[in-house]
Amino acid sequence: MANEVVDQGRRRFLTTTTAVVGGVGVVAAAVPFIKSWEPSARAKAAGAPVTQSLKKIEPGQQLIVAWRSLPVFIVNRTPTQLASLSKQDLRLVDPKSDGASADQQPKYAQNETRSIKPEWLVMIGICTHLGCVPDFVGEMKPEPFDPNWQGGYYCPCHHSRYDMAGRVYQGVPAPKNMAIPPYHFVDDTTVQIGVDAEGAA
Amino acid sequence: MTKRYISIFALAFGLLLGTTAVMAEGPELPAAGTNIRDTASLQRGAHIFFNYCVGCHSLKYIRYERIADDLGLTEDDVMKNLNFTGGKFGDQVISHMPADDAQKFFGKAPPDLSLEVSAKGADWVFGYLNSFYLDPKSPIGWNNTVLPNAAMPFPLWELQGTQVPVMKPATPGDDPQIEKLTLLHPGKLSPEQYQQAARDVTNFLEYVSEPAALQRRHYGIWVVLFLLGFTFLASLLKKEYWKDVH
Amino acid sequence: MANVFSNIGEWVNERAPGLMPVYRKHMTEYYAPKNFNIWYYFGSLALLVLVNQIVTGIFLTMNYDPSASGAFDSVQYIMRDVEWGWLIRYMHSTGASLFFVVVYLHMFRGLMYGSYQKPRELVWLLGMLIFLVLMAEAFMGYVLPWGNMSFWGAKVIVSLFGTIPVIGKDLVEWIMGDYLPADATLNRFFALHVIALPLVLLLLVVLHLAALHEVGSNNPDGVDVKHGPKGNRWDPTKPADGIPFHPYYTVKDMVGVGLFLAIAAFIIFFQPTFGGWFLEHDNSIPANNLVTPAQIKPVWYFTAFYAIVRMIPSAMGTAVWGVLGMFGAIVLLFLMPWIDAGKVKSIRYRGTGYKVALALFVLAFFGLVLIGTDSTADLIPTLFGASADVTGIENLFGRIMVLIYFGFFVFLWLYTHLGWEKTKPVPERVTTHD
Repeated sequence: MANEVVDQGRRRFLTTTTAVVGGVGVVAAAVPFIKSWEPSARAKAAGAPVTQSLKKIEPGQQLIVAWRSLPVFIVNRTPTQLASLSKQDLRLVDPKSDGASADQQPKYAQNETRSIKPEWLVMIGICTHLGCVPDFVGEMKPEPFDPNWQGGYYCPCHHSRYDMAGRVYQGVPAPKNMAIPPYHFVDDTTVQIGVDAEGAA
Repeated sequence: MTKRYISIFALAFGLLLGTTAVMAEGPELPAAGTNIRDTASLQRGAHIFFNYCVGCHSLKYIRYERIADDLGLTEDDVMKNLNFTGGKFGDQVISHMPADDAQKFFGKAPPDLSLEVSAKGADWVFGYLNSFYLDPKSPIGWNNTVLPNAAMPFPLWELQGTQVPVMKPATPGDDPQIEKLTLLHPGKLSPEQYQQAARDVTNFLEYVSEPAALQRRHYGIWVVLFLLGFTFLASLLKKEYWKDVH
Repeated sequence: MANVFSNIGEWVNERAPGLMPVYRKHMTEYYAPKNFNIWYYFGSLALLVLVNQIVTGIFLTMNYDPSASGAFDSVQYIMRDVEWGWLIRYMHSTGASLFFVVVYLHMFRGLMYGSYQKPRELVWLLGMLIFLVLMAEAFMGYVLPWGNMSFWGAKVIVSLFGTIPVIGKDLVEWIMGDYLPADATLNRFFALHVIALPLVLLLLVVLHLAALHEVGSNNPDGVDVKHGPKGNRWDPTKPADGIPFHPYYTVKDMVGVGLFLAIAAFIIFFQPTFGGWFLEHDNSIPANNLVTPAQIKPVWYFTAFYAIVRMIPSAMGTAVWGVLGMFGAIVLLFLMPWIDAGKVKSIRYRGTGYKVALALFVLAFFGLVLIGTDSTADLIPTLFGASADVTGIENLFGRIMVLIYFGFFVFLWLYTHLGWEKTKPVPERVTTHD
């Protein structure tokens, strides 16, 4: 007994196996704790789609509604504002939203106006630089930050600028166009934010 | 040596579990016979609850969406057939009776029933639903043998029918005692069908008391088996190392 | 890969040369007696449960709301809306009860094998302090869900301090910060439960282990291996009957940990309320300062001490005697090293008187647990018929149990100080191991 030779191979094998199985157990036990940080049922319920009537929004006006606690800008763009959109392309980072900003909107809003209906802009009002809420500066008149201002958004935090479709100008800190949430029109004057139209992907 | 200790432990543990089982019985109530894994029963119970109970009683800790998920119902099923209060799919089940009105009608606000089975036990709820009888002395016309002077008129009377008490032979000096209840007018359901209906409501409330019970039983067996497997491996490892010790 | 690790090891070692010696002192070169039996699992298990309570506790605070208006709802929020919140809470609530199971068994081990005797008095005192702080910790944790049992439990336990003459009434108001348990009470209990007492507990646990490793572990034979022959296969100067804690007891404790976790998991997943013993039915009702629950009683792990309060009647116009009895029951445990002047440590070699006394002491403890949980009130009609005088029988039974509990200490003092004990010869070396 006293001179029994230790089977080092078996010992190593059992040590490794036990350690691996124990390790798997610890990792599995960590999963519920990590998952407990995901949005709770309450947060998800509060983040449910938001329905908004468009009747009271005059041309040129913006309404801000909260969806998942995020500010969502709903703008009734005037024909002049819409017409100005196509004149800006050379000053924008990604005018067609197919470059750096390709993932910033659903497919059905990946167009020049970045919307389903041209006049209605529905957009998450969060600057793509560091998350501030940009100011709506809709009027087309020379501004201190741009003598040739065509209307759009100006971020007070680090002076990023966006046009009337939330497309970011060149030479500012923000890298991408502002995000468009999933949304659809329930009828002509009601929009639902948070879900795509049924059947649309 | 170790084996003897383990068997003593197992015995003690078994005894403790046995005692708790005895303790849980409490006053003599028929067993509710609920099973929260019986989804069909839960669905029937939910229908009865939302047709007869939610007018006064809320379930403020559970959401319509959770009920749909756990009971295998679609959003449409729940929103059209269960939700009559206009709440959103993600909302909690709130009764539409204002608390002040309830206070006026019944003398006390109808309690929220989310945790009723946790607090009272399934057998109590089942027994309560079976024990309403007509009582002309009560201001609401109803009384209950499980909860004497209950403030609630019997909401399921059209299902069960109406019961009246059969009294025990009077003993001088004592208050008259109820021996049992007997059916005076039958309701829409036969007595067997009503038992099942009461069991279904109780089952639904038991589920609402702890929706996680469905999940924990599902995962539990694998966790325990894994840990026993680990114990076996560890004991092999221990034996291997302890070959050194003489 | 192995190279990377050894390089990191060397790098740390160069900069903190004091770390490896600490590790060796407490793990690879801590020579524990080789004959530990099943009773020696509970120390490491207590440490495991402590870690579980801290980790799950931290995650519970992330969603718990320590206000009188929000606490109850937030517990249901954890149980239903937070992903896996139910598991985290059940791990914490089951852990609390199992903590006491493990600690009581650990303490019983100490009584059985004389682990409190010289030279381990300090280890025992620190352990008893841990037990005391643990009771405070558990009590405050029990209040936090703010169910009706929480509320009335808080009211009754805090009222115990009201029996102290002269200052009692002011003391109770000071503890609660109100005239009833209220927002202020809940807030301060929360602060104490989640940070203050855990810090104290951790410190005491470190000291408990440090004190133990200075004198070395006792064992089922009560033979001090440090004073036995020297020389084992690892070191010629170390006790012949000692083996390195690591790896021999780390792998052995792993077996205990596995089995313990399997039992704990069974409870957590299949019996989380444990028939109302771990989580009480009446605590599913929100705190209500107008309605006392029909059966107001503490959780099972306090009931032995609580039963002593109930069994000792008031006298001379004050209820302080019961409270003194309860605290006395704990203080006497502190004094065990001085009450017991036994010549041998382990029950294996002690006189019959000690064996009988310890067995009766344990029975009295269980009897008091049953009284405190109101189990006797349910059992008496079953045993003695429906017309039995429940209170009378319960008081008689309970007072006998109280007498046995305190009698144990009196008997032990007489038995050992007056030299009545006839011990068996203690072997030179430890006898067995498995």
